[in-house]
Amino acid sequence: MTLRLKIILLLALVLVLILLTLRVRKRQLDLRYTLSWYFLGAVLMVLVIFPKLLTHAARFIGISDSMNMLFFCGFVFSLVIIYTLTGAVSKQADQIRDLTQRMGLLAEELREEKEKNGEKNGAEE
Amino acid sequence: MKILVVIPAYNERESIVSTVERLKKEAPGLDYVVINDCSKDDTAQLLTAHGMHFIDLPVNLGIGGAVQTGYRYALAHDYDAAVQVDGDGQHDPAFLSVMAKTLEEERADMVIGSRFIRHEGFQSSFARRVGILYFTRLIRLLTGKTITDPTSGLRMIGRKGIAMFAKEYPRDYPEPESVVELLRSGGKVLEIPVVMRERQGGTSSIRFRNSVYYMIKVTLAILIACIRKKGE
Repeated sequence: MTLRLKIILLLALVLVLILLTLRVRKRQLDLRYTLSWYFLGAVLMVLVIFPKLLTHAARFIGISDSMNMLFFCGFVFSLVIIYTLTGAVSKQADQIRDLTQRMGLLAEELREEKEKNGEKNGAEE
Repeated sequence: MKILVVIPAYNERESIVSTVERLKKEAPGLDYVVINDCSKDDTAQLLTAHGMHFIDLPVNLGIGGAVQTGYRYALAHDYDAAVQVDGDGQHDPAFLSVMAKTLEEERADMVIGSRFIRHEGFQSSFARRVGILYFTRLIRLLTGKTITDPTSGLRMIGRKGIAMFAKEYPRDYPEPESVVELLRSGGKVLEIPVVMRERQGGTSSIRFRNSVYYMIKVTLAILIACIRKKGE
């Protein structure tokens, strides 16, 4: 890895992490779902600063080119993030369904109640 | 026996009023509730204008979520049985009393109105019948029970089914999966012969484009329902 590439990658990573933090600060992103991105950024940063680690890791699992190891890591991380999102979406779909049904049931109850009261008032008049 | 008729409706402006009117005429004494699943047409206005009893869902949930709303209503209002009748006029309310009688006398947990016992009336297209037969075989293989019409939307369930489905009900294409879930929990499922008509309006939720997805999704759902622990 050339020094130039190292600096460019580091700057890009720092920029991404800053943007991420700004969005969390504005509460546009939930920190809970942002943690995995921070983790990804941290790991990538360590690998960019110490590319030797990458070479060793690549050799260890039998990848000859260390750059491929980097891609492989990025890919695996992306899958983990997408997987956690699938879980989050499923949970939210359940919650939305529950809320929608409750709202429908409540609105019906309210309407019935009103109708009943209307009848009572009508009888009194 | 206190019975609630649940009528899920999504964009059923052409048939919803006649479906409910027919129900009132042919099955008087039954309570009913239309679940308007956030229809894009004027189904809600029609229901209000005709003074019908309905629940308006603020967000479209699909057939599973809509029917489940009805079951939750049935549970909250202490009904003995709930029956799903589609809003498109396919289901004849005349069969409801036979279904209720079967449910009560046979102590069943679910009574399905099946088109394929006497093979009368609208029999669906050939491709669909093949698909339905496949599910019948799959369910027999997994549970040992023969359900001739596992995709039938005309189903009556008792208290056990209401409690179960109010808590957990499949989101889309719920019929075969929920039958398996009830069977797995030791429920008794019976079928009675019914005659169905061709839908009077609207479009089926299963079009050809979706049929491959439907077959795969429901097959997986049935298989997963079979490896779920009881009561989960």
